[in-house]
Amino acid sequence: MQPWVAVLITAGVVALAAAIGAVWRATRGRRRAGDGTTFGPGDLPGLDAVTADATIVQFSTEFCSTCPATRRFLRHLARERDGVAYVDVDLTHRPELAGRLRILQTPTVFVLDRGGRLVGRFGGPPRRDELGAVLDSLVPTPEWNL
Amino acid sequence: MPASTIPGTDAAAQPPKPIDSRGPRWVGGYTFVIAVAALVVALLTPIEATIQGRLLSPEFILIAVLWLSFAAGTFGGNGAHPFAAFFRRVVQPRLRPAEREDPRPPRFALLVGFVLTTIALVLHAAGVPYGLVVATALVVVASFLQAFVGFCLGCQVYLLLARARIIRPKATLAY
Repeated sequence: MQPWVAVLITAGVVALAAAIGAVWRATRGRRRAGDGTTFGPGDLPGLDAVTADATIVQFSTEFCSTCPATRRFLRHLARERDGVAYVDVDLTHRPELAGRLRILQTPTVFVLDRGGRLVGRFGGPPRRDELGAVLDSLVPTPEWNL
Repeated sequence: MPASTIPGTDAAAQPPKPIDSRGPRWVGGYTFVIAVAALVVALLTPIEATIQGRLLSPEFILIAVLWLSFAAGTFGGNGAHPFAAFFRRVVQPRLRPAEREDPRPPRFALLVGFVLTTIALVLHAAGVPYGLVVATALVVVASFLQAFVGFCLGCQVYLLLARARIIRPKATLAY
């Protein structure tokens, strides 16, 4: 085989890998629509009430490397915004729950509306703009009195 | 809380010690460099006519090196992979401490590499044209993703198999 053909084929294989990697990076942390599942109080460990306008549920595990940073960010978000609650669920010792909710990576983040309906889920650290948009749609914008 | 107080677990079923998640990425880089070299060389020259020629061809020797490394990691544990050992002794002490992860999914990824390189070596020794090329191309793709994107293809396979209960980890899996 001509040397340039061999190099070209090899470059093609590497380019294919790069394309797969680009797709993975582009889909990670994006919002996917919920399947209409509704979670009531007690359905998830630590979920005592779903009375907030929006409840953010983060699924974590002990050895998950990006979970602590996501937890800091989401806790901060819940403190800053009215009507947003935050719950952290440790999946380390609950593989059956991970299987039932089809969670393949941590962190995975669910957003529940008032009433506990799953309106969006994020695999990986959620993108801030997409998470913000979901929360905006659930939490009434405060009316400012000028 | 000691693990023995958690229902369904006991001292014998402790999850293994987490590993520095940069280790598998360095192993991916090492694998990528050798696999790319083997792929180019294998494409350059037609497959040798004699078994001696095939066993002594540079692509066979390069993949044999990878095969031995994968075998060490698969059967001896992640740290037994020669390049993982190099990472732990030479690279890691110079880095800041960082993220750790469950060693079982990356170890399964080493097993996938072991199987792929076994297929490459067997097909090449048997004189199958492009057998080694195709298997090596898969190794190139997986090791590129591991090293440069941080996406471990073999780990995903492991998690899917564990979720389908085809693999049953002894202690709870932290993924």
